Amino acid sequence: MFNNSLNSKAHRHFRIEVIIIKRYEPQKEDILSAGIDIGTSTTKLVISKFSLMNMAGGMHMPRIEIINKEVLYRSPIYRTPLRTTTTIDMEAVETIVREEYAKAGIEAKDIQTGAVIITGETATKQNAEETIHSLSDHAGEFLVATAGPDLEGIIAAKGSGAYEYSKKTGKVIANIDIGGGTANVAVYKAGKLCGTCTLHIGGRLIEFAGNQIKSVSPPIKKLLQQWGPSSAAKEGDSRHVTVIQKLTDFMAAVIARMLNRELLESDKPLLLGHEPDWQEDIEVIMFSGGISECIYKYETGAAGTAQYDDIGEMLAASLRESKELSLWKWVKPFETVRATVLGAGTQTTEISGATIHVESNELPLRNLPVYQIPFGQVLQDGLKRMPEAITQALEIYDPQREGQNFALYLTEMPYLGFRDIQELAAVILSSIQAKPNHQQPLVIVLESDHAKVLGQTLKVQNPSGSIICIDQIRVEHGDYIDIGHLLQTSVVPVVIKTLTFHH
Amino acid sequence: MNPELIEKITRLIVEKLQAQNPPGGGGAANSVAPSASAVKFWDHTSSSEPKNISRPALNVSDAKVEEGQGRIEFGNYSESNSVRKKESAVKKEEQRTEAIYPASGVENPFDPEELKNLISKTPSRIGVGRAGSRPKTDTWLKFRFDHAAAVDAVYGDVNEELLKRLDLFKVSTKVRDKEVYIRRPDLGRKLSDEAKQMISEKCRKAPTVQIIVSDGLSSSAVEENVEDVYLSLQQSLKSLGLDSGTPFYIEKGRVAVMDDVGEALLPKVVVLLIGERPGLVSAESLSAYLCFEPRKGTIEADRMVISNIHKGGIPPVEAGAYLGTVIQKILKYEASGVSLVQKEG
Repeated sequence: MFNNSLNSKAHRHFRIEVIIIKRYEPQKEDILSAGIDIGTSTTKLVISKFSLMNMAGGMHMPRIEIINKEVLYRSPIYRTPLRTTTTIDMEAVETIVREEYAKAGIEAKDIQTGAVIITGETATKQNAEETIHSLSDHAGEFLVATAGPDLEGIIAAKGSGAYEYSKKTGKVIANIDIGGGTANVAVYKAGKLCGTCTLHIGGRLIEFAGNQIKSVSPPIKKLLQQWGPSSAAKEGDSRHVTVIQKLTDFMAAVIARMLNRELLESDKPLLLGHEPDWQEDIEVIMFSGGISECIYKYETGAAGTAQYDDIGEMLAASLRESKELSLWKWVKPFETVRATVLGAGTQTTEISGATIHVESNELPLRNLPVYQIPFGQVLQDGLKRMPEAITQALEIYDPQREGQNFALYLTEMPYLGFRDIQELAAVILSSIQAKPNHQQPLVIVLESDHAKVLGQTLKVQNPSGSIICIDQIRVEHGDYIDIGHLLQTSVVPVVIKTLTFHH
Repeated sequence: MNPELIEKITRLIVEKLQAQNPPGGGGAANSVAPSASAVKFWDHTSSSEPKNISRPALNVSDAKVEEGQGRIEFGNYSESNSVRKKESAVKKEEQRTEAIYPASGVENPFDPEELKNLISKTPSRIGVGRAGSRPKTDTWLKFRFDHAAAVDAVYGDVNEELLKRLDLFKVSTKVRDKEVYIRRPDLGRKLSDEAKQMISEKCRKAPTVQIIVSDGLSSSAVEENVEDVYLSLQQSLKSLGLDSGTPFYIEKGRVAVMDDVGEALLPKVVVLLIGERPGLVSAESLSAYLCFEPRKGTIEADRMVISNIHKGGIPPVEAGAYLGTVIQKILKYEASGVSLVQKEG
């Protein structure tokens, strides 16, 4: 009794203290992000928490930044469910996601940003596009659908730690993410992307069933044909044919030649898309992806490390023993098989400037292609180009005039005074008259910090129109962007991506 | 000493130094055009990769060599300089941004890329190289030049034409002279008796928002930036449906002069656009001070400020648009400064 009253007194005293020392707290907010990777062999998911904070001092306009990213949950690694060899089992993928959300203790509506990425051979399936869009609709209000071999490489390099390594050391690093279907290479120097390349090299390009070959993927068939009849390996053959060892050794050699930008004509069947497009000499290399797991065994003992009946282990062995690849310094990745999913979950979201003009009822906006209009530091030049540029954008993104919206990205702006802004707004409004659907929100992305004033001016000049004007986002012509809900800190999450399915 | 002579000699030396540098030698100075003893503006707010915008602190581009007297005339802040002319000079300078930046004076740097990266992170004079234990002559002269620009900004007067264009009438504080203004901050915080009478006659009473402009410690800040902030703020208030009173200009004012204005006109919110104490990075930085119902005895903690408004900091037009939102918040909570933060909880 006595003790109790003492405690409560002390407690009360403490509370008073708390009120007195209440300090100024900068604006803060946490948001949840999901990453889902549907790869050739495996599907996995991560949930992370981003902490946003106003990093500007009290005397400045707010500047909201992501100050911390924490991974809250990692799913086990699932086999990617297929219905047939050419279609993904959509329901099964959605079931996995639903169950994993439940295990993580979250619901789809809690997810405020993130990305679903479809990678490797899975992106060639008939219903790849449908699957990923359906998933992004169901698994979170602002979960972004992404695909594209270059993007895979970039996201993997960010998830594996290669990007961080280059930033820290200033070195030129190639991250080689090899999964079931493709090897995605991204080269970074001092945190800057130098180039990418994708090859048909992966563990699942030849699958076994018991002692026999179950399947050989088309690019490999083509390659073996080139090698002549003595190198045949077809469905039903014994898995012990010597040509498989020869093939994985060849793959290791092709990777080395690709890193040196010296691909031979005979290597070309394995090339997917463009040739290596960096100019720098690579100093160190890092392997991520499922094959990297075969090399480093980070996940051994963890749930979901099943035996894959394919050439993955042999490919890993060929890489380890390759003389050509041993000439580079190998740096161990932070993540092996989960590099891409971590990249998708933690490295795809950007935050807009804090002084922007958005109309909440129009958000989120998905899959907007970006049309860039560079002003070349001269306002009048940009204004003159504007009507023509918008007609061109329509020709590219909405040739049938069906009402596909797009975002205008205004760059290389000179210093803008108030009258310049008025003029700019008037020219934009008159130029977009060419758009077929005038009800659509007008979406403008600015490189410079002018979004609030431009948005406000557009609204004054056209009060009935819907305007989304955001800034301090770096995109590129031809990218797609998704713009999420307005957060409490008055910023919007933005995901910049590509949407290329390999067919 | 004759100030024109000093300027002339300075220019001659800088030009000569720059001419001596072999073209393409990787040094800083050779990429800097002769007239570009420029102040580098610094973007404190952007989180994206910084781009330095350089423009002359003074209207150096307007400088003329008068053959007969052989002296170089530098532009000044007085009425003779039209704003238009200044704007064209600005544009011209900005187009040269790439050429001016980066400017490393270190000979044979160990890691040129990293040096460039470091220099891009701060407006401070780093990576300028050295001669023995001292800065190089052109670095030193540039420093002196920027310092002189800061001094000029303090002692200059705001162009009458600008005030006319913005329809601002002029009143003064109890200060008559700049020397007194600097030594007696207390006098700069009080309106003169004539001023009090004039604003009582001319201004609408009890508006929601009262906008005032003052030169403060930098007349060039007002000349360069106030027009864009003001027009953009007006537009922002209009779109938010907030009425604003009769704006005016206070010569040689300090921040707390808004208390006298509050007493006389009884506005809900005062916005005071005032020139900041110039620094060596920018002599043209403007601040917007805001206060809910400023009166005699208002404490400093109840004032708030958006600072660093200039061409290389917060763009003036964007600042004006943002100020509207801040005013809206002040009105909602009926508080400003620390009281606002507390009420927001």
